[in-house]
Amino acid sequence: MSDHIARGEDFEKKAEKKLSGWGLFGSKYEDAADLFDKAANSFKLAKSWDQAGAVYVKLANCHLKLDSKHEAANAFADAAHCYKKSNIKESISCLEQSVNLFLDIGRLNMSARYYKEIAELYEQEQNLEQAIVYYERAADLFQSEEVTTSANQCKQKVAQFAAQLEQYQKAIEIYEEIARQSLNNNLLKYGVKGHLLNAGICQLCKGDVVAISNALEKYQELDPTFSGTREYKLLRDLAAAVDEEDIAKFTDAVKEFDSMTQLDAWKTTLLLRVKEALKAKELEEDDLT
Amino acid sequence: MSAVFEGYEKQYCELSANLSKKCSSAGLLDGEQKKQKISEIKSGLDTAEALIRKMDLEARGLQPNIKAVLLAKLREYKSDLNNLKSEVKQIASTNLDQAARDDLLEAGMADTLAVSANQRDRLLMSTERLNNSSNRIMESRKVMLETEELGVSLLHDLHQQRQSLLHANNTMHGVDDNISRSKKIISNISRRMDRNKWIIGAIITVLVIAIAVILYFKLSK
Repeated sequence: MSDHIARGEDFEKKAEKKLSGWGLFGSKYEDAADLFDKAANSFKLAKSWDQAGAVYVKLANCHLKLDSKHEAANAFADAAHCYKKSNIKESISCLEQSVNLFLDIGRLNMSARYYKEIAELYEQEQNLEQAIVYYERAADLFQSEEVTTSANQCKQKVAQFAAQLEQYQKAIEIYEEIARQSLNNNLLKYGVKGHLLNAGICQLCKGDVVAISNALEKYQELDPTFSGTREYKLLRDLAAAVDEEDIAKFTDAVKEFDSMTQLDAWKTTLLLRVKEALKAKELEEDDLT
Repeated sequence: MSAVFEGYEKQYCELSANLSKKCSSAGLLDGEQKKQKISEIKSGLDTAEALIRKMDLEARGLQPNIKAVLLAKLREYKSDLNNLKSEVKQIASTNLDQAARDDLLEAGMADTLAVSANQRDRLLMSTERLNNSSNRIMESRKVMLETEELGVSLLHDLHQQRQSLLHANNTMHGVDDNISRSKKIISNISRRMDRNKWIIGAIITVLVIAIAVILYFKLSK
């Protein structure tokens, strides 16, 4: 391992010397870039991610001087991957630079993919607002490249986080949109009821009873098979429970659904919020009476 | 002489009838009684075999024409005896299996024998069995739902892959176009290179001729 580190530092020093000295025919940047590449490789083998990342950044600057933006953007992306293992903020900044370069060149596909990576890093850090911002940008770029599946995936994540941050209207719209698009597709139509369930849960969180019943009718129109599914039954029972403000009924319906298929963490959080709201309303009413 | 033979014959017929009766009854019994019957039958078989041997000896000692008839009868008796022997073997083998099964299930048999005497317990058992089956049905339903979810995610992945494949196909066409364009450009370059080479060659020849002419005039002056 130390062998690689020594070799890497060796290459780096040689490259720096090339840069500072005078080269023949101005080829010094290319030679320096080559040496930087080898140095970064050795550092990666030695698993010293910080050094590797730093060298990749220098490599990217070399490429920028050589006016090859594509190479520079790739080098920034490599730097970000190295930093991912140690220092996440550096990684995010490198990815941003790389994305800007790709946007300049016009490779929207790659920039969208890297936006998605940035958003995932923010998600890991639990910084949901930033994550939403980047997922949205990624979804827009994917949409313009007509890669609808990745766009839908990013939008789904946006909706998930929006609901967690209590931006229910946005989440509802996104889920309904995705459901509508999936209906036409033979492969995706079996996932529609999942999306409609999520949309329904968000409606419940909003707490507007009339809207909930309207929404349920709308979903039935959208997808005729929806009314036969357990998801629809659950939504109907929950809507009724919210209407009558009956917590026991609510809990019963949720328990029945959970006994068949385990509810995931996101749904559990949202349903818990609805239940708390119900309880609060009940207490309120008791206070008034 | 044949009287002795006839005597043996009668004994043998009685014995074989007895044995076949015992065989059929042993097939219906099981356990200890069966084993007893089988050992009885075996001893009977031995006696029958001895009788047949004696009959054989007698028959050989008689005159040829009677001998032929008697030997034919003897052959019949022998095959009869073989049948009985194989029957006994069959019963004995099933008996072993049966005995092993009985030993294994002895405890269970005893329980059910005891419980089925009690009506209430019988009803409890049947309700328990019904509950078990409904639980199992619920579990299988759960498994089916999980499988369905798995199927949905698989379809989603397939859709994604289909899209990337289509995208790659389009990009390939683009790459194809670019390659043919670059081929044309490179052939252009090579043509221009050739042209430049010819031009430079021509200029050099002209210059050389000019120098030669000048030298010639200079020297001839």
